[in-house]
Amino acid sequence: MKGYLYDSDRCMACTSCTVVCPVAAATREFLGPKMVGPALSRFRRPALAPDLAADLCSNCKNCDISCPSGVPISTLNMLSKAEYYRHHRHRLRDWVLSHGQLMGNLATPFVPLSNLAIANPISRTMLGAFGFAGRMPLPAYVRKTFRKQFRALRQQSFPQKVVFFPGCYIDFYDPGVGLDFVAVMQANEYEVVVPRGLGCCGTPMVANGFPGAAERAVRRNVRALQEWTDAGVPVVACCTSCSLTLKQEQQELFDVPGAAELAARVYDATEFLLELRDRGKLKTDLKQLSGRYLYHAPCHLRDQGIGRPGFEMLGSLPGLEISDADAGCCGLSGSYGFKGDRYEVAQAVGDALFKKVRASGADAVISECGTCRHQITVATGAKTLHPISVMRRAFE
Amino acid sequence: MDSVTVVVIGGGATGTGILRDLSMRGVKTLLIERGDLASDASGRFHGLLHSGARYAVTDPRSAKECIEENAILRRIGKHCVEKTEGFFVRLEGDGEDYEGQWVAGCAAARIHAKRVDLKEARRLEPHLSRRAVSVFRVPDSAIDGFRLCWQNVASARRYGGEVRTYTEATGIERAGDRVVGVTVCDTLTGAVDSIGCDHVVNAAGSWVGRVASWAGIEVDVKPDRGVLIAFNHRFTNRVINRLRPPANGDIFVPHGPITVLGTTSSPVASADDNVPHVEEVLELLHNGTELFEDLPKYRILRAYAGARPLYSPGEGRAASRDFTILDHSTDGLRGLTSAAGGKLTSYRLMAEKTADVVCRELGVKAACRTAAEPMVEDPPRRLVTRARPFFPPYGLDLAASRLGAAFGPVVQGLQMHPEERRLICECEMVTLAEVESAAREPTTFNLGDIRRRTRMGMGTCQGAFCSLRAVGALVSHDLVADKDGKALIRDFLETRWKGIRPVLWGDQIREAEFQREVYAATLNLDGTAQR
Amino acid sequence: MSACDVVVIGGGLSGLVAAAAAAERDKKVVLIAKGVGAIAVGSGSIDVLGYEAGGKPVARPLAEMGKLPSNHPYARAGKQATAKAFEFFLDLCEKGGFPYSGSADVARWVPTAIGTLKPTCFLPRSMDPAPLEAAKAAVVVGFRGLKDYYPELIIRGLMQVPAYPKRFRTVIVDPEMAGRDVNALDIARWLDTESGRHACIEQMLTGIAPGNVVLVPPVLGTVPNYGVLEEFEKATTCKFIEITGMPPAITGLRLYDLLVSEIKKRGVRIVEHATVTRAVVDNGRCTAVVTHGVDRERTHPARSFILATGGFYSGGLEAGFGSAREPVFGLPVKVPESQSDWSNAFLLSGGAQPFARFGLDVDARLRPTDGSGKAVFENVYAVGRTLSGFDDAFEKSGNGVAVVTGYRAGTLVA
Repeated sequence: MKGYLYDSDRCMACTSCTVVCPVAAATREFLGPKMVGPALSRFRRPALAPDLAADLCSNCKNCDISCPSGVPISTLNMLSKAEYYRHHRHRLRDWVLSHGQLMGNLATPFVPLSNLAIANPISRTMLGAFGFAGRMPLPAYVRKTFRKQFRALRQQSFPQKVVFFPGCYIDFYDPGVGLDFVAVMQANEYEVVVPRGLGCCGTPMVANGFPGAAERAVRRNVRALQEWTDAGVPVVACCTSCSLTLKQEQQELFDVPGAAELAARVYDATEFLLELRDRGKLKTDLKQLSGRYLYHAPCHLRDQGIGRPGFEMLGSLPGLEISDADAGCCGLSGSYGFKGDRYEVAQAVGDALFKKVRASGADAVISECGTCRHQITVATGAKTLHPISVMRRAFE
Repeated sequence: MDSVTVVVIGGGATGTGILRDLSMRGVKTLLIERGDLASDASGRFHGLLHSGARYAVTDPRSAKECIEENAILRRIGKHCVEKTEGFFVRLEGDGEDYEGQWVAGCAAARIHAKRVDLKEARRLEPHLSRRAVSVFRVPDSAIDGFRLCWQNVASARRYGGEVRTYTEATGIERAGDRVVGVTVCDTLTGAVDSIGCDHVVNAAGSWVGRVASWAGIEVDVKPDRGVLIAFNHRFTNRVINRLRPPANGDIFVPHGPITVLGTTSSPVASADDNVPHVEEVLELLHNGTELFEDLPKYRILRAYAGARPLYSPGEGRAASRDFTILDHSTDGLRGLTSAAGGKLTSYRLMAEKTADVVCRELGVKAACRTAAEPMVEDPPRRLVTRARPFFPPYGLDLAASRLGAAFGPVVQGLQMHPEERRLICECEMVTLAEVESAAREPTTFNLGDIRRRTRMGMGTCQGAFCSLRAVGALVSHDLVADKDGKALIRDFLETRWKGIRPVLWGDQIREAEFQREVYAATLNLDGTAQR
Repeated sequence: MSACDVVVIGGGLSGLVAAAAAAERDKKVVLIAKGVGAIAVGSGSIDVLGYEAGGKPVARPLAEMGKLPSNHPYARAGKQATAKAFEFFLDLCEKGGFPYSGSADVARWVPTAIGTLKPTCFLPRSMDPAPLEAAKAAVVVGFRGLKDYYPELIIRGLMQVPAYPKRFRTVIVDPEMAGRDVNALDIARWLDTESGRHACIEQMLTGIAPGNVVLVPPVLGTVPNYGVLEEFEKATTCKFIEITGMPPAITGLRLYDLLVSEIKKRGVRIVEHATVTRAVVDNGRCTAVVTHGVDRERTHPARSFILATGGFYSGGLEAGFGSAREPVFGLPVKVPESQSDWSNAFLLSGGAQPFARFGLDVDARLRPTDGSGKAVFENVYAVGRTLSGFDDAFEKSGNGVAVVTGYRAGTLVA
């Protein structure tokens, strides 16, 4: 039996999760994590009709981060959402938002037409009718996906290998981050491998109540990575939601053979680099950098129990001035903030962060998560970067 | 001095069942109870509405009675009954012979026991032991003893029946060979009174002997103690019985969000001690773990104890669970009837037989109708639909079944005053409106009384949050007599503590520390005042 | 994980103070927190010593400490460290822009949500009860729908306090909140907004007059500063006193936020959502602690370790039937032989609960000891509720012990 079935027993109703929940702070319609997770889970066991109280949960996992009793609250929420949608139909919009890989595969060959098709006023209106947030532009597809560009890349061969898990965001919207990662690893005498058959990590499907599709995604990734995990090669992701899913969520929700072995090898990119640095395995003759930056820690990084390795790495780069925004969740939570009926909540959640960004006067905001960066840019106009892109400048 | 035709002593299932039966036959009846209704055995058992299968081998007569009453109660008491069905599970090493006898016994008693494919059984009850070798399904159900008593009373009231709780009988008044009344004492104020009547029914459960002794009559009811454990989660959707000769710790009963494990059986001199001992809890856990291997990982909420009133020469489990109606005119005293022994599942039948004796003596001709008429009406569908937005998920169905006739007014209150929708108890989903509705009942004097009517405080936090809220709200609405409410909070926490103390490890020691952090460290409910 | 001087295990009050004290001495500190800690359960006031063992109220806590048995955490920390710890704490709050007042020399009695008074020592200005003692009448403000505060309950209790006013009035403010139930945090967030403050002031003014003493739930903003309080005082010329109550305890949250931001300023690295499950030991020293994730374990080496994991509630102590343990280092926790001796027949028994006193025995340097009184590890220190020998809930000493032992450990680490 999965641990969470009795872990919810550890809830003392102390309200810590309700205090930190950004969605509860933003809307009074959300009953709060304690109620929606552990409290209602006691009533979901009996054969009663499933409820949709967790639908407003964005799966940002601040509840889990705060819980002094180790209750996997967000997992309870995702399970209850999944149970609900086992008996009810999904909205088309939620299907689209949670199947980014498929949508990306369809759209990329037609860039820039596909971007125009999404971004023109008429289709924006139509998207609105389907429940997308009219004021929240979807990120634009790139013409050449990361994987395509990677295949064309000539790497120097090194005995030390590292597997890179690109994930949908980097693959379809932000391949530069993936290329920066490859460059940093090459500079430090690692060869980067991107196995065939990798796809979406599954987290958007989980968040939108498609557990079956998510489990299939997990199975596919575990299979694609198996030869590398068996060989003890680290698997690194630049997207913190991908790394969180590969490490934790897939294990909590599903029973996929090999998932635990994979999880033991997964690193967030900044975590991996910090570990190399601490072991003296990174280049030390770094280029002098300049600039003032504001750092935003994605919730899904904070949930990983590894501190803020990106912030720490950046702080040790010569010439860089960086401060921690420390302003909570950005509000977008992957697909959440793109939904018409969630947009206001997502903007309210991110408000504290947006204010900090606007007041900072920083040259750019640095954050590991692609959708956090998208949200910050759309809301504030600020330039955003992944830490790996800054590091590339120091290492190359 | 008040005067009625019949006084019933004892507010358990039997007493309230007799009150209902007599009232429906048009007999002016008053029930007196020294505490709250269902505060002893009727609220301190596993909450199992037997199919009779448990007695199929050892007590065929009880078995037959159970299955018949089971069918009746599902009909007339559907708001007290959760139709869960039950499994009988034989584990590796349990005697196969017994299974054969049991199957035959069920057939003889006309209890429908159907074998379930093991794979199907595991699909339905995934946490059940891997050591199960045979599984049968039977029509067991879960029943809420508190609600059963209150709904009996609600039904009786419609026919003129009355109830006085916290009223202890202290003696039987007689004139010659006739009973003419009872003397009573208000247990809250100490005020003494007497009530005139033509007939007294002694339905005092384990205390039947004590009541009879006031009339100089000896009735040998032996209390038999049973300890139970309530778990925080519902880990089984069905009643689970061990398919072997009845023993300790082999029944699991799901109730709403929780699961109850029972019971032990040990003869005791007095039924007054209802504090469980650690050793009893450990024995239950040990035996229960055979049916649910993960049991030690599940959070215990509390342990509690009750006493079965056994009336027969045998002792403990060997004694019959049968009941006996004693018409004491055979002892030379007219106007006193004792209802001795019995079990909750057949309480209605026991009440019927008792009422038959009383009516014969009173010359009342009306026949028993308790098996035909539901105790409370179903709430109108439209009302339920209208009420849905006022409750959190699951709250509506819980409230609709526990409130009975009070559901309508409560919904009206919720509609007119949105702040009444706030949940006083977030573990059992009890709204302020329900708490106030229970508090307004003239039979409510403390938070325990509200708890037994609403389930407030019976969930995970065991009163940590709801006691302050309930008292605060009641004080604000002038619904309590206590001058500042502190004693009410304290008493409530202390009664909860009685059940936590025997299981003070794991998560319950954490809960106890948390409760003290709130009520002692922050609110200083325990410290003496300054100056 | 990169090596540092000190790893603090636990993000409650004792851990935060320990981290601050160590960082103040220029130590490189990593604080590993499982969750937010019990600090938000309490009221944020620093209770030092409210009751002596027999249940008599303590008027002069600091002086009373001299009479405590030698195994009490205050006795272990010593008189000098105790005084310095409180100074350090006051200084932290001052620097964080949310100064506390009070002294450990005198007990102060603060009103609670059930109308009792609780003895404490250090308070934020918004909780200072002095104006109430001087007043002839007072107003209790309630908020419509707020489910953990009931003005009537508070008034009925306070009416019985001889030194307090006998006349109380109630003013109910309607925050006009729809949706889910209203708790103190919702109101505090409402008062974080300008429109909320204006609406609240306007409604209060219908029932209060200049110079009134006004009791309010702990709702004067979520941020550790006196902005809301000052605005209220200015707009009404009344004195406001925040009452302590149930979790979520906003006054406790403010203290938590203040301390977290102060330790960050001092360069402490915080690792959130990580549970330390075991230690790596070598020849009487701890060399690293190990956190457990769903994915894998991670090692955190350091020169010293401060164990601030709390009691049973927080998981710093674990109990099974008949036994208790400290889960990180496996340090001994003494318990009575019979489980029935773990607790008193009453929860609030008017005396210390045996189980509340379970914990780690330590030496004069706060290092956990074995049965013979010898330190088990030369570089492991234990602080706060993890320690044995005191029932914080009965004594009203929890936050005081956390501050004193946290500070002391922070000054002892190498």
